[in-house]
Amino acid sequence: MVVRQYQEELKYLEKINEYCWRIKKGFQPNMNVEGVFYVNHTLERLMFEELRNACRPGAVGGFLPGMKQIANVAALPGIVWRSIGLPDVHSGYGFAIGNMAAFDMDDPKSIVSPGGVGFDINCGVRLLRTNLFESDVLPIKEQLAQSMFDHIPVGVGSKGIIPMNARDLEEALEMGMDWSLREGYIWAEDKEHCEEYGRMLNADPSKVSMRAKKRGLPQLGTLGAGNHYAEIQVVDEIYDKWAACKMGIEEKGQICVMIHSGSRGFGHQVATDALVQMEKAMKRDNIETNDRQLACAHIKSQEGQDYLKAMAAAANFAWVNRSSMTFLTRQAFAKQFNSSPDDLDMHVIYDVSHNIAKIEEHMVDGKQKTLLVHRKGSTRAFPPHHPLIPVDYQLTGQPVLIGGTMGTCSYVLTGTEQGMKETFGSTCHGAGRALSRAKSRRNLDYKQVLEKLEELGISIRVASPKLVMEEAPESYKNVTDVVNTCHAAGISKKCIKLRPIAVIKG
Amino acid sequence: MNKSKKYMEKKIESTFVIVGGGIAGVSCAEGLSFLAPEENIILITASPLIKAVTNIIPLGKTLMHFDVEEKSATTLDKKYKMLQVIHDTVIKIDTIGKLVEISNGEIISFKILCLCTGAKPKLIAENNDLIVGIRDTESVLQFSQKLKNAKRIIIVGNGGIATEIVYEIKGVEIIWVIKDKHISATFVDPGAAEFFLNKIYSKSDTSDNKNMPSKRMRYVVSDTTSVKNGAALGPDWHNSFDISGTCFTSKNVHVEYECEISKLLTSDEQKHLNSTEKWPIYAQLTNGKIIGCDLIISATGVIPNSDICGLENLKKGEDTGLLVDWKLETSEKNIYAAGDVCTADWSKAKHWFQMRLWTQAHQMGRYAAKSMVSNLRNEEFLQDFCFELFTHVTKFFTYKVILLGLYNGQTLGKNYEILLRTTKDQEYVKIILQDGKMQGAVLIGETDLEEMCENLILNQLDLSMYGEDLLNPNIDIEDYFD
Repeated sequence: MVVRQYQEELKYLEKINEYCWRIKKGFQPNMNVEGVFYVNHTLERLMFEELRNACRPGAVGGFLPGMKQIANVAALPGIVWRSIGLPDVHSGYGFAIGNMAAFDMDDPKSIVSPGGVGFDINCGVRLLRTNLFESDVLPIKEQLAQSMFDHIPVGVGSKGIIPMNARDLEEALEMGMDWSLREGYIWAEDKEHCEEYGRMLNADPSKVSMRAKKRGLPQLGTLGAGNHYAEIQVVDEIYDKWAACKMGIEEKGQICVMIHSGSRGFGHQVATDALVQMEKAMKRDNIETNDRQLACAHIKSQEGQDYLKAMAAAANFAWVNRSSMTFLTRQAFAKQFNSSPDDLDMHVIYDVSHNIAKIEEHMVDGKQKTLLVHRKGSTRAFPPHHPLIPVDYQLTGQPVLIGGTMGTCSYVLTGTEQGMKETFGSTCHGAGRALSRAKSRRNLDYKQVLEKLEELGISIRVASPKLVMEEAPESYKNVTDVVNTCHAAGISKKCIKLRPIAVIKG
Repeated sequence: MNKSKKYMEKKIESTFVIVGGGIAGVSCAEGLSFLAPEENIILITASPLIKAVTNIIPLGKTLMHFDVEEKSATTLDKKYKMLQVIHDTVIKIDTIGKLVEISNGEIISFKILCLCTGAKPKLIAENNDLIVGIRDTESVLQFSQKLKNAKRIIIVGNGGIATEIVYEIKGVEIIWVIKDKHISATFVDPGAAEFFLNKIYSKSDTSDNKNMPSKRMRYVVSDTTSVKNGAALGPDWHNSFDISGTCFTSKNVHVEYECEISKLLTSDEQKHLNSTEKWPIYAQLTNGKIIGCDLIISATGVIPNSDICGLENLKKGEDTGLLVDWKLETSEKNIYAAGDVCTADWSKAKHWFQMRLWTQAHQMGRYAAKSMVSNLRNEEFLQDFCFELFTHVTKFFTYKVILLGLYNGQTLGKNYEILLRTTKDQEYVKIILQDGKMQGAVLIGETDLEEMCENLILNQLDLSMYGEDLLNPNIDIEDYFD
């Protein structure tokens, strides 16, 4: 990282408009394109605070400020247009979480980077609607939430709701939601309302290591931890009545279920395996990056292709996961309300992926180009009339699902033409966090503990808050600020606000 | 000849037979019922109570918290149609004829057998009423009766059970004899022990948690004489028993570090003591001290219950456990072993090791089921991922304690580095790093770091660039690696 005075750094930053800043070339070395980031007043203050703190003497640590990470991505080979930071951008491994970057498929130098996708490959959000209202659910919400993922039914379908053995897993990795459909866990129309119809066709399970497969297989009869986080939500506000109507949301008080999950351990292993391979490929192909964490490989190289195929398998795995949870949710509601999921109108409104890389067609400087778009902590948001969005949403634009952190509000947005031009149809993914004051207020106390530990004769390093951030009372980027910024900047449009009434976390 | 004919008439056939109603045995039975609901399963248990794992809360891919409940054996039969629980003891196992003989004379034939016979506590001296080993339901019952009139006790051992006893016993003077330099050494490092010490010495003010309503059903063993070698205890075992003495003096725990009991004084030797006090039993420690007490509690580890008639040919490890391969199969085909009775004999993953804990008994029981069903159906399967990473969740001194991987730098010698963050009475986070990669972690308190640590140990990602910033309390690290 280039170390300069804060005032020097500011010379590389320029406000384009009320909601968007430009990061000029030179902010970090070898930038091929400029960076931009979207903020409102509050988020802007947080971004600059973070940079200022990083500029203090002795503050150079392993964690780069978001702006620096965006700029380092702008220095990757083959990047086109801009390295884009969404309003919820925060520090992440390699790429910041909330960063979109696209690479020209026709440029042999272009790269793919696992750090640009994230470890939890195809982490995403799915929203189910119901025709129930808050008053129907409130009296039994605890029982309902309890029963949702309590038991995995035995004997439904031929093999069980989640791939349990090695052969099932291979098939699921290859087929994604087609596997869930074949096993009888989802409705055919669910696929219509997923990106890629819930299946990446280039998935190749043979490119996935044995360790990843083992790590993906569930323990007996469980969906696994962290793997399930779902919320029962109530429609709290409708901003765009017409678009909401197209999604089957008629009025306030209607009940929805949001499922937020990904490929977890499986994705972690796929990403880790790829990082190791790519470090070698970088040496061989003389690829240089500003940050070691930005390990990458040429898209066309063996390592690049292997990663894309394994990543696709992990993406399919994540869709199977979300489909299993969809099934369990429908079962639980049907049982509680003594009615069929069909009669409860429990359709999938949409399913988005916010940790993924995809090949897409975009206009760059007036020319159509085929790009590999990395979206990490960033959601695809295609505008009305785009050929890749389902018939139902051709006129509204793609629904974009934004999950808050647990217990806060969530939103449904729609894609816009302006977003297509400015951010290649990408928007935010949720709340952002990187810094928290809560823990730093703790009174760290080492003296006695250290005395005892020193007897071991092992070198010990202690953690301490190096910087006291007097200026920023709370460094947390709340989801409402994030969503309002996307709306105001025009890169997506607010449609529905949802409020949680019950959370299920495994 | 006549005798064997009589047995033949009483022969029962079952696809799967499990011996032992502890956590491993019951987890195995439940696993089999889930994976092969159409097959006959027989569980033979020596105790009318079995152990069932309930309230599973997964905390990570391989990490989970659970409660262990004692249930009457009949609750299991009722739950699973094809499962039959037999309350009896095994006399003999015929590995060639694939038969199990039980004490009422019945013979059970099996296709696949799983031994989950657990382990028994090591005792510093056998056949002494004043020395109790705590391991199973029966021994706790015996213990709580003996404790009623005790004024002073000695506790030997430094593992989980010893730690809990020290914290839970009230109204008795406790001399805690440990061979290490710090308490709870089996699980935690000296730093964490220091973190805990505060709680031990201040525990008297929390002594009335007995009055809290019990949330679970309790079952009482009415016929104690018939129970021998019952199932091992689960976490929270002390809730079911009254472990208070009658002497309500102020709280008093005294720790004797780095020593063991060298011998018990004979009645002759006792006569030579010029002491005003008179104790039923006296122990001499390796540091020379002679301590009199009412009772000695021996919690120094366990010995696998692997001596079963007919299994003499099965290969055993140095710790006398039955050696099992990665499928949990013993040296004899179609005979499996899980839990405390077995000794892992496969080439182990770097961050996993065997420890005779509830966690592993549960994991092994479930995995044995998977392995046995795959064997029956001739299906290929992969080893469960839980054997890639050592994980254990427990509660010490009211804190949640999570142990991951090589949490005390096991096998690393002195070639590692510790990253530490601690806040008094709140949390203790210790991360073990070698060459910048995470090898293990101790997380005490509500740290929310378990899933991240689990992933980073498994990923072996180079973390050297972060240095101590990895635990910087200003940074919410949980989703950095998402």
